[in-house]
Amino acid sequence: MRKISVDWLAVIGAIALTFLVWAGALPDIPW
Amino acid sequence: MHPAISEPSKRTVAISGSFFRLIPGILLLTVIGYAGKVTEQSITTYGKAHHIALPNIEYVLWAILFGLIVSNTIGIPAMFRAGVDTYEFWLKIGIVFQGVRFMVGDVLRLGGTSLVFVAIELAVSIALMTWLGRRFGLSEKLTSLLAIGSSICGVSAIIASRGAIDADDEEVSYAIGAILALGAFSLLAFPAIGHALHMSDSTFGMWAGLAVDNTAEATAAGALYSDAAGKFAVLAKTTRNATIGFVVLAYSLYWAKKNGGKEIANKGAFLWQKFPKFVLGFIGISLLASLSVFNKAQMTDLANLSRWAFLLTFAGVGLRTDLREIRKQGLRPLFVGAVGEFAIAGLTLAMLLGAAPLLHF
Repeated sequence: MRKISVDWLAVIGAIALTFLVWAGALPDIPW
Repeated sequence: MHPAISEPSKRTVAISGSFFRLIPGILLLTVIGYAGKVTEQSITTYGKAHHIALPNIEYVLWAILFGLIVSNTIGIPAMFRAGVDTYEFWLKIGIVFQGVRFMVGDVLRLGGTSLVFVAIELAVSIALMTWLGRRFGLSEKLTSLLAIGSSICGVSAIIASRGAIDADDEEVSYAIGAILALGAFSLLAFPAIGHALHMSDSTFGMWAGLAVDNTAEATAAGALYSDAAGKFAVLAKTTRNATIGFVVLAYSLYWAKKNGGKEIANKGAFLWQKFPKFVLGFIGISLLASLSVFNKAQMTDLANLSRWAFLLTFAGVGLRTDLREIRKQGLRPLFVGAVGEFAIAGLTLAMLLGAAPLLHF
């Protein structure tokens, strides 16, 4: 079973979401 | 380790079908966090509609409070536990996105300043905890764990060093229990002291980041004060976290020698292994923001993603704090921890208040 640290998972997840925001693939994120 | 004291940092996550096991707990974090946000908004709206000046209690406190109520009354059913443990993932993803709120120049300037404070804080807290542990007759291993936990980043640091120190599960539980109990207390005490001293957002944030042990609690304490203070707390805490490898390495070398265990052959690899990688993500996003890769709307979106991630984190802070377990841990480690933390909080506060006029925070 492949394992990945939570730290790297968070970095990869954040990069993926950042790319989607940058590419305009996500709707505006309200708060 | 007692099962009721959840070990938040599992360090690794299996990528397999177990993803579906996480969904109920993540939904619980979302519901509790969102309930906190709705409560804050509802109170503000009610106050405005009825022209009543109600105190603005941040969603952070509501989310933690609702989580505490659930975990200390009905408890967390087994099916939710795996998902609730993901709060550490949301914390780290939230920290990475916070990078968008800092220009690289700010990170270097404030990070450099923080590093000086962190160095002093590390030296004092390790010396103080070691002295207190001996004075009150705690075992040397427990004293080491408390010193590591109080000097750097609470639970993750304790877990990172447990193997090297070869501590008993009970000692690890004690140290984690004491750090979590003190973290919960800090959430109430720090903002109250900050308001009493009329501290600026930046000074308060730096203080929370330097003195509150666990990353989630430090972030929450900053956010409880203000959104801007939360941002500074994250930066100071991230700097502190970055030193984890050095302190754990020093303790590992000491205990390897003492226990006659094998020496650490490649110290560089050890440091890299213990280095919190999300710090790199934080710097990366900050770098991209500084290079104007994002427009204003995208920067807002990323900052808001950070807030949503923290919303889940704060719900998790409440949910994993079991007050009954903390009571069972015994008073001595808690007392040693409390005396040490009080002194560290006082020292870092004095350093920051003394340096603030010079540093133009």
